[in-house]
Amino acid sequence: MGLLCPIPIIQLAQALRENDQVLLLSDDPATFSDLQAWARMTENTYKQLSGSEFLVTKGVDN
Amino acid sequence: MLDQAKEQIASHLGVRVEQIYPVSNLQTGYALGVQGLMGLDSTLFYSAVDRSEIYALAKENRSERIPVSLAGIVDYPQGEPKDVLSWQWVNGETGVLAGNPGNFQGKTFVDATAVSTLRQLPENWSTALWDSITWQGPASLAIFALKDSSIWTNPLPHTSPGLEELSFSVPLTVASAIALEAHQSDYTAAENLMRSKNEGIRKFLAAEIGDVDIAGNLDSTLPHLLSFSILYADAKIVQDELEAAGFAVDSGSACGSANMEPSHVLAAMGLLTHGNVRMTIRLEHTDQILDNFLSHLKRIVDELRR
Repeated sequence: MGLLCPIPIIQLAQALRENDQVLLLSDDPATFSDLQAWARMTENTYKQLSGSEFLVTKGVDN
Repeated sequence: MLDQAKEQIASHLGVRVEQIYPVSNLQTGYALGVQGLMGLDSTLFYSAVDRSEIYALAKENRSERIPVSLAGIVDYPQGEPKDVLSWQWVNGETGVLAGNPGNFQGKTFVDATAVSTLRQLPENWSTALWDSITWQGPASLAIFALKDSSIWTNPLPHTSPGLEELSFSVPLTVASAIALEAHQSDYTAAENLMRSKNEGIRKFLAAEIGDVDIAGNLDSTLPHLLSFSILYADAKIVQDELEAAGFAVDSGSACGSANMEPSHVLAAMGLLTHGNVRMTIRLEHTDQILDNFLSHLKRIVDELRR
């Protein structure tokens, strides 16, 4: 929280290297749109839990 | 002199001279173009990548925003004869060309503010707006076009029903006509060259930098505009480092802007909103200049991603 683009996405990618699932908390207004594009480009999946909470899962859902 | 300038402008924009009106600012042009077509029970349809001026007009009217696909494709509604469509011909941020408004039943405002080349207006246009700076003409001059005054009412405060009270600068109109003529002949001659430069940059971004989200493809965009977003790169740093190397680029990223909000165009298309770079390819950009630009860009991104 309190971090601005692209830091939330950089930290997310780093955390996902060591974990299969990551809970991303970000109040940066750019994160939501950024996350959609990031998931498409890197072939990962996310689910928005609330306005600023996203559950990110490695890989694409089957 | 004014008549001659208007004749020149009209012929280059593909409309009749009695259909065009120079106006001194874009806001006035948007109000004339959109609000002038709206009736009491009209709905304004507009796309998610429309300009902020259209968003502002949408707020003041009954309106419906149409989503845009990743490729920039808008699925235009049919609407009813009383409705109004704001149809953005080219998106000025990404260079993406819109598909034809097709079967829309209502009145169509053509936002041509990012269009500088001679292209045929869609058959069902009602009003249109161009921006003189698009063809390197003077700022503070827009060209408003009205196809048929019977479907339009003047939305501005006025004492006579026509548009003769609109204020604009005659010298700027003359200068704009000269600039438009020069621009169109240069552009037409160089369009294929700019397309091949654009293609070269796209290939370099994909092969040498990687993880770059490029807006639209070569066939769906104007050849002189290119918008791309570099994954894990801070647009502000990229912009500053490029500037230090002598290259000026724009950005739609929040980290590159003062308001901390990313470009609504990138967000609406689902494109990456960080690390965004917008560039304009000009005739004077030789292969050597572009190679130099790309090698600086690669160095900056490699350092940021390390």
